[in-house]
Amino acid sequence: MIFFEFAKRNLGRHKFRSVLAVIGIIIGVLAVTALGILGNSVRLAASDQLYLFGNELVVFPYGGDTISEDHFEQIDKVADAIPVKSSVDKVIFNDDSTLVAVYGMRTEDIPKLLEKDKGQFLKHGSLDCLVGSRIADDYELRVGERATLRTQKPRIVGILKERGVGFDINPDNAIIVSDKLFSALYNSSGYNLVIVKVAKIEDVEETRKKIEDRLNKKEQVVVVMEMKMIVEGIKNLFNMISLFLMGIGSISLVVAGVSILNVMMMSTVERTKEIGVMRAIGTSQKGILHMFLFESLILGVIGGVIGAILGFGVGYLVDVLILNEASYLFAPSSILYLFLGTAFGIGTSVISGLYPAWRASKLKPIEALRYE
Amino acid sequence: MNVVELVEVTKVYNLPRGSIRALDNVSVSIEAGDFVSIMGPSGSGKTTLLNIIGCLDVPTSGRVAIGGKDISDLGDDDLTKIRRDKIGFVFQQFNLIPTLTALENIAYPMILRGVNGHEERSKELLRSVGIDEKLGENKPNELSGGEQQRVAIARALANEPDIILADEPTGNLDSKTSKALMVLLKETNERGKTIIVVTHDPVVAGFTMKTFTLVDGRIV
Ligand SMILES: Nc1ncnc2c1ncn2[C@@H]1O[C@H](COP(=O)(O)OP(=O)(O)OP(=O)(O)O)[C@@H](O)[C@H]1O
Ligand SMILES: [Mg+2]
Repeated sequence: MIFFEFAKRNLGRHKFRSVLAVIGIIIGVLAVTALGILGNSVRLAASDQLYLFGNELVVFPYGGDTISEDHFEQIDKVADAIPVKSSVDKVIFNDDSTLVAVYGMRTEDIPKLLEKDKGQFLKHGSLDCLVGSRIADDYELRVGERATLRTQKPRIVGILKERGVGFDINPDNAIIVSDKLFSALYNSSGYNLVIVKVAKIEDVEETRKKIEDRLNKKEQVVVVMEMKMIVEGIKNLFNMISLFLMGIGSISLVVAGVSILNVMMMSTVERTKEIGVMRAIGTSQKGILHMFLFESLILGVIGGVIGAILGFGVGYLVDVLILNEASYLFAPSSILYLFLGTAFGIGTSVISGLYPAWRASKLKPIEALRYE
Repeated sequence: MNVVELVEVTKVYNLPRGSIRALDNVSVSIEAGDFVSIMGPSGSGKTTLLNIIGCLDVPTSGRVAIGGKDISDLGDDDLTKIRRDKIGFVFQQFNLIPTLTALENIAYPMILRGVNGHEERSKELLRSVGIDEKLGENKPNELSGGEQQRVAIARALANEPDIILADEPTGNLDSKTSKALMVLLKETNERGKTIIVVTHDPVVAGFTMKTFTLVDGRIV
């Protein structure tokens, strides 16, 4: 195609100018791609969390006291409930003492909420303990060692799997004991929180209402939080952030588009005489139009492809740094942003080239020919 | 047969300071195979006349027929095709396309038309206008003025047009080169092409068979 060849050579004529125009597109596409991938990864991460915790309700006491045994019974009537006692205390591992969260749970509830990495769960009435993955790493704890907790020296029978930051409990940095041991240690009555696992995610809201109706009849005694809403709220927040970031990316694309428009206008003016000659010896308006559109297409394709590749790289870096996780990068919806970024770049470039190309094609041959 | 037929052609340019009658009721017939020169003082309308014959401009009134076909009512695409297929242009400033090599410049009109074997034919044309094949890969700015004008003539001949229009083709050349170029045009005419040359130079006009003189937009 002769007009494609013309476009290539004309771009080569002003290499510096063409390179600048391409850089503009690269930056815009890079921003759109990287930010799009980041936003998408965050959304995917939030979705995974939703899948894990979406059917959970967490009941907290209203006003800072504990939830009484009696209130817990009522919650348990509505749906299967896991009562949790918690405290923060000084624990000695080997010879290091540190402050960790201590959770007291019914031994049969523990496997419902947590996964173990090594060892085993607590047996009924056990006076042993489980430790979270983080402190197990930090203090190089092994199954069979003992921790010192006030007057007791519970044996570590299991190490838990990493669970990440949650809205209910944070077991990674905690030591978990049976309710029996907890009561012996702290002499406490009531529970600090109650976790309710609803069988069907659709029933979460109804269950929440039921619990609230039962317990908060006369006065408010509990606050019920829906994990679904929290996770979804976070998801929406990140959606908005990523949309905002992509907006910023788009602005740089618009700037790139304006610079392409400028470059193309310049070259249509500079090449007026040449266009006149081409028209005089038989080039159609369409031919001139194609020549200039090819120029902007080439700029857009080069900028779009380079920008998307760089954007993917930046997206990877940011994913690793922010999410500590690169697997979302290769999700189909993330890959989509590669093509979206490239398409935006090409689109911007071609749209910016439309007017100059059209103008050049509409030049009157004699007037263009007379132009000096 | 008349390849060019102008009947009462008038061209008026409307300017803010009044209108200029660049051509005033001009009627000309040029026969196939003619070698014609158009002379006249500066501003007398020579270029205007040539542009109208070359389908680059349209008259304000009057009729124009090229190769027996009335072009007065044709649109841009049809006029462009006539310029591509029936007319060859030679300009004073040579006007080769700077991004194309000499051979590509010659091939370009054929590529536009979709002619097969344009590479071979371009080489033939380059040889026929007396340019060494080695220069074929040169860009226009790597050629002398005389060489560029020879390439321009080869380009004008690419699609075997009926008519060659040359507006002061020797205007930028020294007298020796001018003569050589006119010899080339004369040979081209002898091979059957109709040629119309606008010139100020009586020596150039001396190569032609017939001379029209324009004064103030009229043929005298
Ligand atoms: N596009 C235009 N707009 C207005 N006036 C024009 C235009 N083109 C030509 N003219 C006028 O028309 C007249 C004829 O111009 P033209 O270019 O045909 O003259 P010419 O005989 O070719 O002159 P020269 O020998 O100097 O090239 C001149 O008075 C010129 O000023
Ligand atoms: Mg003139």
